Parts: sequence; C-alpha cells; structure tokens
Amino acid sequence: MSSVSLRGVVKRYGSVTALDTVDLDVASGELVALLGPSGCGKTTLLRTVAGLERHDAGRVAIDDEDLSSVPTRSRPIGMVFQSYALFPNLTVRQNIAFPLEVRGRPAAEVRRRVDEMLDLCHLGIQADRYPNQISGGQAQRCALGRALAASPKVLLLDEPLSALDALVRVRLRDEIRRVQQQVRITTLYVTHDQAEAMAIADRVAVMNHGRIEQLDHPAAIYDDPSTPFSAAFVGSRNAVPVVVRDGEVRIGPARLPAPVGTAGTDRLVAYFRPEEVELSDDPEDLPVRVELVVFLGPVTRLHLDAELDGGPVRFHLDLPSRQAAAHPVGSLRRIRIDPSLVRLFPAATEVHP
Amino acid sequence: MATHETVTPDRMTPGPTRAGDLLPPARSAFGRLREIAGLWLPALPLILVIALLLLAPALSLVIGSFRDASGFSIDPWIRVITRRGDQAAILTSLALGATVATLCTLVGAPVAWVISRMLPGRRAAWLALFTVAGNFGGIGLGFAYYAILGTVGMLTLAIQGVGIDWVPPRPSSFGGLVIGYLYTNVPLFVLLTIPSMGALRDDWWEAAQVASATRAQFWRRVGLPVLAPFIAAGWLLIFTWSIGIYGLAYALAGGGAAMTTPLITLRIGDILATDFTETWRANVLSVILMAIAILSLLAYRVTLRRAVRWFR
Amino acid sequence: MSTAGRRILLGAIVVYLILPLVAVFLYSVATVWQSRILPDGYTLEHYVAVAVDPRVQGAVLRSLALAVLVTLIDIAIVVPAVFWARVRNPRIRPIIEVGAAIPFALPWVVIAFGIDRLVGEWAPSWQTTFPVLVLAQSAIAFPFFYWAVDGAMAATGIARLTEAAETCGARPIQILRRIVLPIIRTGVATGTVLVFAVSFGEFALARILVGSSYDTLPLWQAQALLRTDDQLNELAVTTVLSFLVLFALAAWLVARGRSSGASLAAGAQVGTPTEAPR
Ligand SMILES: Nc1ncnc2c1ncn2[C@@H]1O[C@H](COP(=O)(O)OP(=O)(O)O)[C@@H](O)[C@H]1O
Ligand SMILES: [Mg+2]
Repeated sequence: MSSVSLRGVVKRYGSVTALDTVDLDVASGELVALLGPSGCGKTTLLRTVAGLERHDAGRVAIDDEDLSSVPTRSRPIGMVFQSYALFPNLTVRQNIAFPLEVRGRPAAEVRRRVDEMLDLCHLGIQADRYPNQISGGQAQRCALGRALAASPKVLLLDEPLSALDALVRVRLRDEIRRVQQQVRITTLYVTHDQAEAMAIADRVAVMNHGRIEQLDHPAAIYDDPSTPFSAAFVGSRNAVPVVVRDGEVRIGPARLPAPVGTAGTDRLVAYFRPEEVELSDDPEDLPVRVELVVFLGPVTRLHLDAELDGGPVRFHLDLPSRQAAAHPVGSLRRIRIDPSLVRLFPAATEVHP
Repeated sequence: MATHETVTPDRMTPGPTRAGDLLPPARSAFGRLREIAGLWLPALPLILVIALLLLAPALSLVIGSFRDASGFSIDPWIRVITRRGDQAAILTSLALGATVATLCTLVGAPVAWVISRMLPGRRAAWLALFTVAGNFGGIGLGFAYYAILGTVGMLTLAIQGVGIDWVPPRPSSFGGLVIGYLYTNVPLFVLLTIPSMGALRDDWWEAAQVASATRAQFWRRVGLPVLAPFIAAGWLLIFTWSIGIYGLAYALAGGGAAMTTPLITLRIGDILATDFTETWRANVLSVILMAIAILSLLAYRVTLRRAVRWFR
Repeated sequence: MSTAGRRILLGAIVVYLILPLVAVFLYSVATVWQSRILPDGYTLEHYVAVAVDPRVQGAVLRSLALAVLVTLIDIAIVVPAVFWARVRNPRIRPIIEVGAAIPFALPWVVIAFGIDRLVGEWAPSWQTTFPVLVLAQSAIAFPFFYWAVDGAMAATGIARLTEAAETCGARPIQILRRIVLPIIRTGVATGTVLVFAVSFGEFALARILVGSSYDTLPLWQAQALLRTDDQLNELAVTTVLSFLVLFALAAWLVARGRSSGASLAAGAQVGTPTEAPR
C-alpha cells in the first residue's frame, strides 16, 4: 500500500495559476475526493500526479519517492479519464490487456489478470466488444479495469461519472467504491458533485482557485465548513448578510458572539442550512412571509422573506413534505435559528459557487 | 352525378398530409400535377443539368464504346486492349497514379500529422500555404517546371553552377511527370487528411502513457491502426485524381513530338485534336479511364467506412 | 517526431511549395535568363506587352466572362435545389449527390468528350460555341458550390428555421430571400470563390470542347508554352496574374472570416473523412 504526497505544488498556464501551492497527503488505501467548481484546478492536480503536466514548483511523491523527473509511463499509477479514452481499435479485453502487454508480461499472466479484471468490473459479457459497441457505464467500468490491470500503487479518476445519466451514476459510484475497497488502492477522485464526493470519499478536499480550502472527512466538511467557500459550496446554505453591533450579531432574536477580530459595523455573512431553520410560534421570533413553495421530494423548501437590520432578506427553510401544505404562499410565519449551527465569515469573501 | 361520386370518397378519406406541405391534398389530375411541380420545380434546372450534361454524356460514352459502323460490337474494346500503344498508356497512367499517390502519402501523412497538432493560428497559416499551392496547377505549373528544372531552369543552373554535372529529368519523362504531379497533390493530400488526424485523440496518447506504453508501442498498437484507413482513403483519392489530370500532363508531355510518356488522358486529348477517324479509340479509352476512376472511388468509400467503424 | 526532424520536414516543404511561384515571378520580370541562377536583368516590359496583346486580352476577357457566367448559373440552379431538398422534398438529395459525384469521379477530359459527342450528335451547329462551354463548365463546377452551400445549410439548421418562418406565415420565396440567403452567405461566398477559380483556370474542358476556334486564358497559355514562338515571358506574366486573382479570392474569403483557407482546395472537400469521433 502506498501514499501520495504533494508539497507546495504550483502549476501555471501563462498568467493563469491552475495550482497555487497545493499541499496534500493521501494515506495508503485511502480515497480522497477533490471537490470544487469547474476550472478550480482539479484536473490539473490529477494530471500533475500522473506526470501528464509538469509542475512549476513543489514536490510530488508516491511512497516518498520524488516523481518530478519520472515520466508518466514509469509512474506506478492507473488513471480513468473523464472521456475514458478507450482505444477504439481494441476490444474491451484488449483495452484491459494493454497495460500488461506493453509491459511485456507473459501471455498466460495477461490472460489470467484480464479475466480477473473483467470479473471485478462485471464485464464478462462485453469482453469482446469494441468501445463503440458498449454503453457509457460499461465503458466507464472498462476504463476502470484498464487502470487497475497492472496493479498500480495509485488510482486517479477524473470525473469518471460525469458523462453518465443520473441513475447509472449512483450505481457506478457505489461500484467504484466497492472495487476500490476490494483492491484497497490509494485513490484520488475528482468530481464537482458534492453528493458524489461525500458518498464515496474517506476524506474530501474542497478546492477553489487552485487551492485546497479544506481537507476533512465528509461529515466534518458538511457540518463545519472552515472557509466561506466550503460553507457556500457544500450543501445549499442560507447566506444571510448581517452586521456586527455591540460585539454581537443578531438574526431576529438569535444572538451570536461576533468572531474574534471583527469590529463594530463590520459586515458579515451568516451561513446555515435550510433544514436548521425552524418554524416557531414564539412572538419573539423573526416574522417572515412565505413567497414560494418548492417541492423537492422528501422535503419541501419554503422561500421566506423577512426584514433584517432594515433590509430585505430571503431565508430558505426545509420541511418534511407532509407538513408543507400547512404553509401556503402568502402565509405569515415566524422562524428561529439555533445560533450554534450558524457559521460567520467576513462579507467581502462571500462566494457564489 | 358521376363527378359527385368520384369526389365523395376523396372527401371522406382525405389523403395523408405531411406537415409543412404547401398544397392541399390533390383533388384532380391538375392538382396532382401542381403537387408534383411543388415538390420538384425548384430543383428542376439542376436536375436537368445533371441529366443532360453529366449523366447523358457518360452514358453515351459507355454505349458508344460498344458500337461500330454495324451496330453493337465489342470490336473497339478488343482493338484498344490489344494495341501496344494503348496498353502502354493505360499501364503508365496506373503506374503514375500509384507512384504519385504513394509518394504523396509518404510525405503528406507526417506533414498532416504535424500540422494537425499545431496551434490554430499556425495551422491556419500552413493551411493557407497548402491551399495556394494545391490550386496552382495546370499550364502555369507546367511552365514553372521549365523555369526551375528545364535545361536553363533555375535549379538546373544552380546545381550545374557549383560544378555538378546534373541533367534534370525531362518534363515529359515519367520522373518529370511525377515531380510535377507531386506539387499539387502533396498539398491536396495534406488538406484531405488533416481533418482525419483529429480522429486520433490526444487523450489516447495520454492513456497509453499512463498504461506504460512507449511512443513506438502507442503508434503500432493504436495510432497507426486508427489512422491507416484514413490514410489509405487519401491514397485512393490522390490516385483517382492523378490518373485524371490533363492540363498539367499536357503542359509537361503534351507537345506532340516530345510525347515520350503515354498517358490515357493525353491519348484521348490527342486523338480528339488530331485524328477524327480514331474517335472510337478515344471513346473506349475514356470508358476505361471512367471505370478505373469509379472502381478506385468505390474502394475509397469502402475504406472510409472501415475507417469510421470504430467511431460510430 | 523530433523537433529537428519536424523543422527539416516543414522547411523542405516550404521551399518546395514556394520555389515554383518565385521562379514564375522572376521569369515575368526578367530581361534575359539564360545562364545564371537569377535573371540577367529586370524589366516590366512583358507586363506591358501582355496588356496590349489583343489575343491575350481576348483570352482573359473570355475566361473572365466564362467564370462569371458559370458562377451566376451555379448560384441560380444550386441554391433553390438544395434549399428545396432540405426543407421540402428529401428525394431531391440523392439525385444531387449522384450528380455531384460525377465530376469528381470522372476525369474532366472524359466528361468533356462525352458532352462534345452528344452536342455533335444532336446539335452540331453548337459544337465549339461559347454557350456550350459555359453550360459544360457550370455542370462540372456545380459540386463545389453544392458542398459549400449544403454545408452552410446543415450547419445553421435551415430546416428548423424554415419551419419557424412558416409558422410566422412566410411564403417559400420570402423564406428563401429573407432567411435562407442571408444565413448561408458564407457558404455562398465560399462556393462562389471555388467555382470562379475552377472555371477561370480550367483547361481540359476548354481544350476538348473548343479546340482551336478561340482562346480562353489557359488555352492561350498552353500554346505559348508549347509553341516555340518565344512568348515565355508573357506566359509568366499571365501565370502571375491568374495566380494573383486566385490569391485575392482566397484572401477575400479568409478576410470574411470563418471559412478556413482549406475550402479553396479544388475538390478537396469531397467525402473528406470529417466524421469526428463521438
Ligand atoms: N492546457 C491548458 N492551457 C491553459 N490553461 C489551462 C490548461 N489546462 C487548464 N487550464 C486552466 O487551468 C485552470 C484549471 O483547469 P482544470 O484543472 O481543468 O479545472 P477543473 O478540472 O477543476 O475544471 C482553468 O482556469 C483552466 O482554464
Ligand atoms: Mg476537469
């Protein structure tokens, strides 16, 4: 088992800094998801590990061996491309055999290993089809089989599910996780889908503008965003502008101590989840008006207008759908927020992912 | 009454109306005529041109090649096929086409590959150059041959100037024709194959690297198998194109006495210009040329279908 | 391929492609060019000679007239037919496709011979006349126009736009004039340049159909080249001039943007394997 380590990795394309001093450690057998919006540098990071891009500064190592001068073909990696990049002139079986054959492994070993991979990826029936004769999901599994065939130390996946439709996506996500845990391979998994990242990863690295903003376990990322970007990008949070007054911040009757380092009249943004907003009967609580009711399946989201610090503010509140009928558009209600669930960040860095 | 009866069923079961049909369903012979006119009239001039100026002449040649004074006969064919001079023309045309196409492929394929991987701006400049060169043909190009490789041509003088006793190939020789033909056909081959070079996606090379393949392994196992049919298609196109060239051939080898390399196109032109009693011979030769071109173009279609089979 | 190898390959290609152009140009401005690498002296007198030579004038004018007429005819017959094939009657298309394949598959000498035969059989008095040459040239040049225009129509989804116009109550003529033509302008421009260039320089057809009754520019050039009456410098001048015409047309196309220079390549578009993967 092997670990990946990046130290101060920088990659520039002309004036664009695609990777801005990235530090990342992936433990042996761990799956780390790189999560972030399009263009934040996820692919670049992955390709740097693969050696398909040369980094401008820093160190990329697998098992403490510096890879900077090692060409892609000598790196102990397997990779699943976003487009799969299956060789069109080779069958599924031949594609999976390719990494073994170019390494000059004996035919018998190649055959045995390919069969293992076909089995692992449930591709037995499609083994002798060409890439244009199989479905997107099968192509994805074939790409996975090819990446794993030569038993690499590290597996790299670049948005492996983005080309698939929603139903297949969930099934294959779990499939990839099963395979990864079965072979216990150290894995970097790029995605822009936070649900996917949360579901599959041991740890999630939230990326923005070529930096890793937060690296933690999915639950921690979800519950305790450490930067406004993580707060805004992960989950769909309420982002309510507030002002520091007398060393504290008020959202209706809820009072929060202002974060250290803020002064009076500083503008902040309060982040909290729609399911953390509660309806209440207490006349002390914040009065709101239901503006829009959006059915989302298990929950229904109410869009609520209120007035805060003299300005109009919109809240989102999630209710179990069965209870939503009691709150039609136009009705007047009161809401309350548990101060301990609110995260405050300076307003200047407010982010709209 | 009779009229009424014929109309009624029409009313009860109106004809199928296609969405977007301009005319109501036909009701009478006149209406039907209008409907047909509405479907075909705007295309009629072009269809007439195709029928009268392309299809009819081709057919008339084919039919004409099987006739002599007495009616149907394969005599003209036998007389052409068994005659030395005509055999030589056919074989030389085929050899010239194959030689030119092969050389074009050897030079053009690597060039097309390199240009296809350039940045757009650079690529556009190269495409412009090839476009200009590919269109510089015919008599003007023939003249350029004399100006460069003639007995007092630029290059001839330059090489002899440094003391090398070198005689350039005569324009009317096989070698001279090949050099002349290459000039337009290499650019044409490049322009034709550049789009198909895009079929080889960059991420395959990356995937091959990740799979630990060397560049040679990649080309042998993936690159060439994917590109080969496209390149073969280019070869066939240049071959077809070359055997039909007339203007340049005429400029290089058409000067009557200087005619040392017999070509089908030149034979046809020559007969038509000088010897009216031999028109039947030109006729058969035309049909042979036609047959070669059609066969090679069919082969091109098949090859291309093979080429795209992995991409459908 | 190594960088050095690539440089050598491309460098050699450039020299090979440019050398003939340079040589022809030098010839057109040379006084005498007999024994040295470069001409012995330079002069513009050949340009003057060409300008005042009535035979050359006639040939150039005839070639221009031919190219203009053929272009106009091809616009007039191809655009409506392709439009109709796309929006109203798909059965027109295979007919056009077959027609467009013929000038590509058959050497033009052969087509010219076939036309000459037919005309000789049915209307002998028309043989070698200019109108027959124009019509024949229109027939063999139409595919260039067809590919350009059809590509433009396909690229802009003309069928859907026509349906939209119809729902607005437009009649076919109005649709053609107000929607289709403006949209396929680029395709028409490309097609025009292709047809013009091909017709202006076409030798095979003119030689077979016209014989020696009158000159077009390529016919005159061929005579100047193969007869030994020493008009080689004038030949160089006309070659340079027709090349400039071609170049100006290409430049105009490129300046209009969008259309790649490649589209000028005579016939290069045919069945080009452009089927992109996926
Ligand atoms: N080959 C390249 N040339 C120039 N800029 C690039 C190149 N590849 C990526 N970039 C830039 O680097 C940034 C990060 O890109 P990428 O890693 O592909 O993002 P992601 O995969 O997260 O969507 C983007 O701003 C992108 O425009
Ligand atoms: Mg990406």
